[in-house]
Amino acid sequence: MNGRMLHFYLAGINNQNFLMRDRETGTWWQQITGKAIYGPLQGVALELVLSDELTFGEWRTESPSGQVLAPVVKYTKEYDSNWEPDVAKLPVVISFPGTELKSRDVVIGLTIGGAARAYPWDTFAKQSPILDRVNGTPVLLVLGADGKSFRVFVSRIDGRDAEFFLRAPESATDSNQWNLVDASTASQWNFQGCATSGSALGKCLDQTPALKDYWFDWRNYHPETTLYKH
Amino acid sequence: MSASSLYPPTLRREPPVSSRRWFAYSLFALAGIGLFFIPAFIIRPFRHQSPRALLLAMTLRQRAPLGTLIAALACFILALVLWKTASRWRKSLLVLTLLLVTFSAVMARLNYFEWMFHPIDGAQFVAQADSKLDAKQMIMAVRIGTEARAYPISQMAYHHVLNDVVAGVPIAVTY
Repeated sequence: MNGRMLHFYLAGINNQNFLMRDRETGTWWQQITGKAIYGPLQGVALELVLSDELTFGEWRTESPSGQVLAPVVKYTKEYDSNWEPDVAKLPVVISFPGTELKSRDVVIGLTIGGAARAYPWDTFAKQSPILDRVNGTPVLLVLGADGKSFRVFVSRIDGRDAEFFLRAPESATDSNQWNLVDASTASQWNFQGCATSGSALGKCLDQTPALKDYWFDWRNYHPETTLYKH
Repeated sequence: MSASSLYPPTLRREPPVSSRRWFAYSLFALAGIGLFFIPAFIIRPFRHQSPRALLLAMTLRQRAPLGTLIAALACFILALVLWKTASRWRKSLLVLTLLLVTFSAVMARLNYFEWMFHPIDGAQFVAQADSKLDAKQMIMAVRIGTEARAYPISQMAYHHVLNDVVAGVPIAVTY
């Protein structure tokens, strides 16, 4: 912030999201939005760094020289590698009855130009790749070959809207291969959004930040969100 | 028998100065205790907070470290003065509230959320070959410049926040 590095620490839970404070000014920040909600820096927003939720296996193939955070030995028993089903059982303090989803349904949430949209995970997993428009921007949501990693791209090549589809595997041995093809050039694209063959070779799609979240949390912080339905 | 001996000592009317001091003591004690306990009550893990309640909690929590200290000091000074003329049950009340006020003053300077979710002290990073993570486990991946880092969700879901520097860029990893 203005050239000063801030160090954050956990300072509270707020509707099952968390609050943090920085040691330098004591300002309170909302974790999900990165906005300062109280204190000297109130109103300031942290810049979101693009990150992906991938399986370790997928990430390894993409970034073989990358480093991974080591577990802290004395807290190993606190780490729950089975956290997804365990957290799904926890009570929810805020819910939105009357909306089509249940509180702990998982969604992929996007915000583009202030417009928020949520894609139910189960729908996404069955229909991937999903082509959609959010606030006029064409988006492409793709599920990785591992069935768990996901990315969202702006579906434009050289400034023109593009359509993508998964090509059927060419043979039985091909069935685990990821075959994303664009409709206009028939180039092949990989999970990182870059063309690996065809006339679009070397081009990459712009990735857009997306959050995998529980419906109640997404809806709580994005009350105007639309919901993808098919 | 004289009239005064019919009344047990505790029912004697207290002089006005003393009752002002008791009133002051009560105010300081309530303030000192409230400054810690009200925010702690509002910001509980499985409780919904309205924006107004959250604002109150943060406002109080911000002032708590200094406020509880002042309140505690005031309580101790007043308690010393009030002790001599206090009845036995009032002495117990003084002791109990002094304990609570001290507890508040101490807790207002501690972050008990970090007792529940310890922060990472001195994060270590290892090469993929040295990691025991299963291929199917979820990670948060960040790439800045040529530096790629992965933060396993099973770990970040516990620690919640990590301050890190990747390719010279200071980031806060949160889950």
